[in-house]
Amino acid sequence: MVAMMPMQVSIRRQTASGRVALALFVLAVIGLAAMPWWARTGTIRMVLELCCYIAVAQMWNLLAGYAGLVSVGQQAFMGAAGYALFVLAQTFGVNPFLAVFLSLLVPLVLAVPCYLLLHRLDGPYFAIGTWVVAEVFRLVASNLSWVNAGAGMSLSVMKDYSAFQRNIAMSLFCALLVLVSIGGSYWFLRSRFGLALIAMRDNPVAAASQGVNVRRLRFLIYVAAAVGCGLVGAVYFMAQLRINPPSAFDPMWSNLAIFIVMVGGIASIEGVLIGTLIYFIADRWFGEYGASYFVVLGVMTVLVALYARTGIWGMISKRWDAPWFPIRRHLVLERDKP
Amino acid sequence: MQWFDALIQGVLLGGMYAQYALGMALMFGVMKIVNVSHGDLVILLSLVGISLASSFGLGPLAVMAALVPLAVGLGWLLQKAVLNRVVGEDPLPSLIATFGLSLALQNLMLQIWSANSRSLPGGGIESRSVQIGGIYIGLLPVIVLAVAVALTWGLDLMLKRTRFGRALRAAASDVEAASMTGINPRAVYASATAIAVGILGFAAVFQSLRSTVAPADGGAQLIYAFEAVIIGGMGSVWGAFLGAMVLGVAQAIGFRIDPGFGVLAGHIVFLLVLATRPQGLFGRA
Repeated sequence: MVAMMPMQVSIRRQTASGRVALALFVLAVIGLAAMPWWARTGTIRMVLELCCYIAVAQMWNLLAGYAGLVSVGQQAFMGAAGYALFVLAQTFGVNPFLAVFLSLLVPLVLAVPCYLLLHRLDGPYFAIGTWVVAEVFRLVASNLSWVNAGAGMSLSVMKDYSAFQRNIAMSLFCALLVLVSIGGSYWFLRSRFGLALIAMRDNPVAAASQGVNVRRLRFLIYVAAAVGCGLVGAVYFMAQLRINPPSAFDPMWSNLAIFIVMVGGIASIEGVLIGTLIYFIADRWFGEYGASYFVVLGVMTVLVALYARTGIWGMISKRWDAPWFPIRRHLVLERDKP
Repeated sequence: MQWFDALIQGVLLGGMYAQYALGMALMFGVMKIVNVSHGDLVILLSLVGISLASSFGLGPLAVMAALVPLAVGLGWLLQKAVLNRVVGEDPLPSLIATFGLSLALQNLMLQIWSANSRSLPGGGIESRSVQIGGIYIGLLPVIVLAVAVALTWGLDLMLKRTRFGRALRAAASDVEAASMTGINPRAVYASATAIAVGILGFAAVFQSLRSTVAPADGGAQLIYAFEAVIIGGMGSVWGAFLGAMVLGVAQAIGFRIDPGFGVLAGHIVFLLVLATRPQGLFGRA
C-alpha cells in the first residue's frame, strides 16, 4: 500500500501578511490620490517629496539589487526629464500635466545609447561611468542656450491653474509614483520576468545557463529605471516650479537612494519603504545639523556595507517570515482526496 | 601656435591627472576595487597640508615630506579597516562602503575647513615660468609632470622587478593560486592601497600649489582619474599615464574653444574612446 501516489502539488504565492499589506497598499494609494480633500498644500508637498524618495530608491534597488548594475548617476535621467517638461510646457506651451508624460520619452531615448556605452565597463567602473554621464548631462544643460544655460528655467505656466487644481495634480502624481514604483515592481517581480530577475540576482552565470537572457534583462531594467527616475524628475520639478543644472543633476539623489536601499535592505521592496521612512524622519529631525548629519549618514552606509549587507529588512525577515510583498513561490503538497 | 600651446599645457595638466590615476589603476588592477573616496582623499590630504603649512610655517617640500608618510598610513588603515572586508567578486559592497566613506569625508572636511577654497603658498614657485619659442611654460607644471613620470616609472619598475611587485601581479591575476604559493593576499592588498594613497600625498601637494582646493572638489578628481585609466586602457600603469595625457590635452583644447567646454571635452573624449575602443587607446584587446 505504499505505492507511489501521484502527488498533487499546488503553488502558494500569497501569504496572510501579504494580503494585509496589499490591502493597506491599495488604501494608501487611494489616500494619496484623495489628498486635496484631507491635506493642506504644505502636507501634499511633503508627501510628494516622500513619494519621490520611494520611487528613486526603488529604481536604484531594481538596478543594484536585482540587475547587479550599481549606478551613482540616475540623477542624469531625473534632470533630463525635468528639463524636457520645462521646455515642453514653457517653451512650446504643452499642457504641463500632459508634458510630464511626454517628457518620459527623453530618458527613454537617452538611456539606450548610455547603456550601450556603459555596459562595456567592468562592475565598479560602470558605477563611475554613470556618474560621468550625469556630469555630461549637467554640463550640456549648463551650456545650452535654449534651456537658458546655467541660469535655469521657471515654470510660470503653472500660474494658469488654481491652487486646488495643482493640489489635485500633485496628489494624483504621488499616487502614480507609488503605484508605478512599488506596485509596478511587485507585479514585475511576481511575473515570469521577475523569476528570471531573481535568478539573476542570486547568480547571473547560473541564471544564464538556465536560459535567462541576462544581457537583455539588464538592458531592460536599465531603461525602465531611467524612465522611472525620469517620472520622478518631471513630477518633482513640476512641483518645484524651477529647474537649473546643479539642482536638476544633483548627486544628492544618488546619495539618498543608496542610503535608503542599503539601510532599509537591498533587493526587497519592504526595505525601500523602511529605508525611506528612516531617511525622511532623520532628514526632518536632523537636517538642520547639515554637514554633521551627512557624516552620520555616510558612516552608517559604510557600517551597513561592512557588517549588515541585508539591511534592516534582512534582519527582520530572518526572524519573522512575514513578507509584505511576497514574491516567492511555495510548493504545497496536497493529500489526494478520494 | 595657439593650438600648439594648448597641446603643451594639456600635457602638463595631464601630469597632474596621472598622479591621481596611478593609484586608481593599481587598486583596480590588484583588487578589482574602485575607491569612490579616491578624490576626497586627495582633498583631505591637501587641506591637512595647507593647515600644516600655515600653523608650522612649512614650505612645500616639508609639507610633502609630512604628507606622503601620512598618506601611506591612511591607505594602509583604509585597507585594514574597510576594504579588506569588502574585497570580492561582487562589486557592490566595496562601492557602497567607499561611497559612504566619500560622503562622510566630504562633510567632515566641510565642518573642519568650511566650504572656502584654499591653496598652499609655494614661495613664488607657482608663478615662475620660462618662455620657449613664444610659449610660456610654468615651472611648477613641469615639476608636476616630471614627478608624474618618475612615479609612473618607479611604479612600473617595482611591479616588474621586485619581489613585492611579483606578489602583487600574482595576486592580481589569480588570488587563490597566489595564496597557494605562500603569498598573503591581505598583506599584498594593504601594501597596494598604501602605495596608491601614498601617491596621492604627492598629488595633494601639487594640486594645492597649482590651484585651489575646497571640500566639495573630490568628485571631480575621482572622475578625472577614472577617465584617465579607461582612456589609457587597463592593465598597465603607463596606460594610465598616457590616458591622463590624452585627458589633459582634450581639456586644454576644449578650454581654448570655450571656457565652459573644457571639462566637457574631456568627458566627450572619454565617451568616444568607450564607443570605439573600449579596451582603451593603449590597452590590449
